[in-house]
This record gives sequence, structure tokens and C-alpha cells, in this order.
Amino acid sequence: MERNTMSYKARQFLMFAGPALILFCMVIIIPFVYGLYLTFTSWDGVSATKPFVGLANYVSAFKDYYFWSSIGRTLIYSAFAVVFVNIVAFVLAYLVTSGVKGQNFFRAGFFIPNLIGGIVLGYVWKFVFNRAFVAVGEAITAGAVPSLLSTTGGAMFCLILVSVWQYAGYMMLIYVAGFMSVPDSLKEAAMIDGCTPGQAMRNVTIPLMRSSFVTCLFLSITRCFMVYDVNLSLTKGEPFNSSVLAAMHVYNKAFIYKDYGTGQAEALILFIVCAIIGITQVYVGKKGEVSA
Amino acid sequence: MRKRITQILALTMILSLVCVFLVACGSSSGSDASGGSGDGITIFNSKMEIQDQMLQMAEKYTAETGVPVEVYYSSDTVSAHLATRYASNNPYTLSMVDAKDVYSLAEDHALDLSDQQWVNDTTHAISVDGKVYGFPVCVEARGLIYNADAIEAITGKPFVPSDYATLDSFKELIETLKAGGMKSPTGVMKEDWSLAAHFLAQVYEEREDPDAFVRALSADTTKLIDDAKFNSLMDTFDVLMNNSYSKASAISAEREVTEQKLAEGEIAFLFGGNWDWSVISAYDYTEHLGMMPVPQNTDDGSNGKLVGGGSKYFFIDSSSNTSDQQKQQAKDFLNWLVYNQEGQSFLVNDCALVPAFSNITLAVSDPLGASVKSYVDSDALIGNYNYLPDDHYAILGAQFQKYLAGKDDREGFAKQVQTYWKTKTLTAHS
Repeated sequence: MERNTMSYKARQFLMFAGPALILFCMVIIIPFVYGLYLTFTSWDGVSATKPFVGLANYVSAFKDYYFWSSIGRTLIYSAFAVVFVNIVAFVLAYLVTSGVKGQNFFRAGFFIPNLIGGIVLGYVWKFVFNRAFVAVGEAITAGAVPSLLSTTGGAMFCLILVSVWQYAGYMMLIYVAGFMSVPDSLKEAAMIDGCTPGQAMRNVTIPLMRSSFVTCLFLSITRCFMVYDVNLSLTKGEPFNSSVLAAMHVYNKAFIYKDYGTGQAEALILFIVCAIIGITQVYVGKKGEVSA
Repeated sequence: MRKRITQILALTMILSLVCVFLVACGSSSGSDASGGSGDGITIFNSKMEIQDQMLQMAEKYTAETGVPVEVYYSSDTVSAHLATRYASNNPYTLSMVDAKDVYSLAEDHALDLSDQQWVNDTTHAISVDGKVYGFPVCVEARGLIYNADAIEAITGKPFVPSDYATLDSFKELIETLKAGGMKSPTGVMKEDWSLAAHFLAQVYEEREDPDAFVRALSADTTKLIDDAKFNSLMDTFDVLMNNSYSKASAISAEREVTEQKLAEGEIAFLFGGNWDWSVISAYDYTEHLGMMPVPQNTDDGSNGKLVGGGSKYFFIDSSSNTSDQQKQQAKDFLNWLVYNQEGQSFLVNDCALVPAFSNITLAVSDPLGASVKSYVDSDALIGNYNYLPDDHYAILGAQFQKYLAGKDDREGFAKQVQTYWKTKTLTAHS
């Protein structure tokens, strides 16, 4: 049988990639294209007709003050969360690969927050912020202490803190893999050549771990941009809708305020923003990658 | 030969996968068979607190009448959940929705129920263009929930709500309670729906023509800050707010905690509605709870009435996905609720709802519901305004929370409300 004919290759491709391809089209591509179509209609989700309105939804999305302020808030939140997640994760990874006693136990321990679902985690922390911290504060100051979650800056701070707590363990695992992939011989060679441990870390280990950084940054940035569950269960946008992040605003716009068309258009804009940031970041990161 | 077999195998796998998908996507439109062979009804329940009772009732109803009944519940937004069912051509026979949803769904999806007997026994059914589409499940009303036991323990005399209809007398009572040892006699729920959809909405509802007022706000021809009703309600709100147990941290007060304090008599007053019973009853409540109108210094009579009306409506699907037989069975079910003793008992005794039908005379078991029933019976109910835009409660709720937190004054809040309405273009409605 000919192995380099077109039909043979097509058959081989379909045999191995076909099922996955069909699934991917069914659950990602088709809904996406259909969603794109819906942004040009003023459909309310249930009525039989889907009136075509052209770009009106995009116009109202661009005019939606609350949408852009939620995007701005998401940028701030992501900037802080991504930086702290990665710093904490890196430090933790360094500590649990440095050979401390019981390091496997610590690895598991730091990873556990990631196994708790975002909704549950939000409610647990809400209790901690609203009751536990307040009780401790009142015991110390002997006066009424408002919960952190009830102040505008405080709510954002809580969101960032909880996200760092949740994601740091996961990113830590990736950094741990990065640390382990750097051969000891290279570090030793650097030390013999006169490097201090700090210099060896900066000039040998970190450059060789670049792919870990790229992966971690990519994962933490996309996760932070799309965050919804913790936002919903921890602050629910309160106080005064000052902690509504982009994904939550889009959901509210479409399903709570019942403005499906605009909500859908905003979702698409959010997707494009995320895609641009993600792709740029991976592109820049990959470009400077070195291998041992 | 072997290769041939592998290829055939792979092809069958792909084909079967495709088939599974096509069947899954097309089944409901392909045949009515999947919807229960045109017999039996499916009910969508959107009142979480009565889901257990609904399930039991469905079993009993089926045993009695032979009509299969299936009850579903979803915690999704009602309209979003129904949208997915309609998108898959698999709607419920009977859906329980909010008043707003009836207006948006009726034209395309609801069956005309004007010829039903129960239409004459209620004033709460929803009609669009002269046709009745919505069957009212119950009546719910807003007002001040009080704990009479807690009040009487301090004042030493029986608590008669009508004695405190004016804000002045109400304030005096608050002072008496404080002097008697109740440090903070009120509670305020910080939830945006409670503040904006329930309390602020009274500003629109407690007047002759709510619609004209809202339109005037939208057209910017009236100043809210000069409005007598707005000021009178805000005066009362100030009293509730300033005497609240959570005054220092009003924005982080949790609803459960507030209601528990009311139930146990630690506070005496809370603005809410009879739906709060489902929360209060979870705690160790004292016996004499009830609801009274929001006290106001006014002579328009609104301080003698609760605000409310029908809440949650059933509509029957009118599409071809529901067979004529199913439509009839759904109508029979609604009639059973209103005219059959078991149906009435299900509504009133099992679910503890305030019935919306005048022919149902069973006594309501929960104290808040009983209060509401007495106001309904004496016709002392101010109707709901069902045409507020969907984002009203969220956007103005946030502004109201700012006021509650002391970050905005009355003038600033009024301005925010006014700005919100200015951006709204109101459409005509019947």
C-alpha cells in the first residue's frame, strides 16, 4: 500500500486525531463561531427571532463605563497577583528543593490549597476575613473593627491574597520541576569557577529555568484574567460593586441585567485582550529561551 | 488484511462518535418521544425553599391522578436556565418564573390562560395585551419585621403595630427600647436587592402613578431630592440605620446573622419580607413575630399598608414541543392547586405560602405569612412595580450601600439615582 499518497495521510490523520478534532470542533469552535454571530444580534436568549443589529452591541460595549472600569480593576488585580504568585511560588520551590527535612511533606502541603475548589475556598476565606480576623481585631483593640471585605481597597487586597494563596502551590510544582531539571554539575562548575551561590542562581539556574517561568507566567496571567469563582464567593463584587472583575461583569451583563448581546460582545473583547496578552507573553518568553 | 481491519475499525469509531453527537444534539427536535411521549408534565421550580415539598407533592399527585409529574430545580438565573431549555427545544411544561420573566416570555412561549376559572378568583394574575399568561403562585410583601416578644419584654405592654405608624412614635419606641437595655433595636440588610429592589422601590411604588414618576425621573423633569416620598422613606431609613446593631460595619453584616438576632429577640426590627421566614425559621425563634408597614410621617395612608403582590408565576409552554394533552394536564394541575383541598393544603400548609386566590381560606402557618395575609384580606397592599430595568437593583444597590456605609449623603445618593434613570430609555408597556 502506498504510504505517501494524500488519501493515506488523510486517513492516518483522521484515525488518530479525528475523534479529538471532532470533539474540539463541537465544544469549542462551533460555539465560538455561533457566539460571534450572536454579538451581531439583539437576541434575548429565549425569543424565537434573532434580530440582526450590526455593530450596535460593540458600540454599547465600548460605551459601557462599568465594563472598562472592571477591565482596569482586572489589570490591577492581575498585575499584583501574578507578581506575588510567582515570587511566592519561586521562593517556596527553592525552599522545598534545598533539601530541608520533610520537604515532600511541605510540597504536598503547599499544593493542597489548589485542590480546594474556588467557590469553597472563597467561602472559607470570607468566614476568616469577616469573623475570625474581626474577632481577633476586636479582642486586641477593644473596639468595633470593620471587616477588610467591607472596604473598597480591602476587598481587592483580599482577592489578591486568596489568589496568591491558591495558585502559589501549583506554580511551585512547576518551579520545582524547573529546579530539578538543572543539572547539579552545571551549578558545581559555576561554583568552582568562583561564583557565589547567589551568582550561580542568577546566571546559571534561572536562565536554564526559563521555560518554567514562561509556563508559570502564562498560566497565572490567563487564570487571573478569567477569574470568576473566587470573585463570586469571596466578595460577590461588594462593596459598592468595587470588586467586580471583568469576567463577573460580563456574566452579570448577559445573565443578570439580561443584556445578552452586549454581554456577549464584551466577552469577545475580553477574549481578545486575554489572547493578545497571552500570546505576546509566550512569544517574548520563548524568544530568549536557552538550553543547556 | 490486518491494516484493512484497523481502518474499518477506525472508521466505525469515528462514525459512531459523530452519530452520538448528532443524536445528542438533534434528539429533542427530532422526535417528541424524548419529551416523555406527550404524556405527563415537567415542572420547573425556582423557589429553592419548597423543592422538597414539590418533590413529595409530585409523587402524591401522580399516585392520585395517574399523571406523571417531574419536578426540576436550578440555582441558575431563571431566565438563563429557561433559555438553555428553549435552545435545546426541550422546555418545561410548567415553568415557575418571576413577574418580569412572564412579560418577556409570554408573547413567544406562554399559553393563553384567560379562559381558566381561577382567573376570576385572583387579582394577582399577569396579563399581557389583555391575555392572562401568569398563574400567581403566592403573595409576598415587604415591610418591617418585628419581634413582639422582645419589645414587650421591655415596654411591659402588648405591642400594637398600628400605634407606631408614624416615624415620630416609632422613634419614641426605639428610645424606650434603648433605655430599657436593648442597645441597638434594629438591623439593616446590606444586600443590594434588599436596599434597591425592595426599599428604594417603595419610593416609586407608594404613589398614585408609579409609572409616571419613573418616566419623569428618566426624562429628568422631576427632582428626586425634593420628592416628599423619597425624603420620608429616607428619614425612616436613617432611623433604622443609626440604631442598627451593625452600624459600625454595616457593609459586612451577614443576612443570616441579622435574621438570627431578630429571631432570638436581640434586635426588634428589620426591613424585609415574608420570604425571610425561611431564614428566620432556621433559628431558635420566639413566638410572636410579625410584619408591619414601614413607619413614616405621612398622611397618604402608605404607612398603613405593606408593599407587595403576586410573587413567582407559573406559565404553560405553548410551543409544539408540548403536546395538547400535556397542556391540558398542566391546566388541570393549576386548577388542582386552587380548587382541590389537597392542592390548597400543599400551597398553604406544606409550603407555608400566602395564597393568591380569594377562595382559599386556610390559615397561613408562619407568623410573617399570617401578617401578610391579614393585610391582603383587608386590601391593605400597595402593588409591586414590575417594570424596573434589570440592572436597577445592582447599580443603585451599590449606590445605596455607599449611603449605608456613610460614604455618601442623601443628596449625593439622590443624584446617583437620578443619573441612573437619565441613562435609561424606557419602552412602552401595557
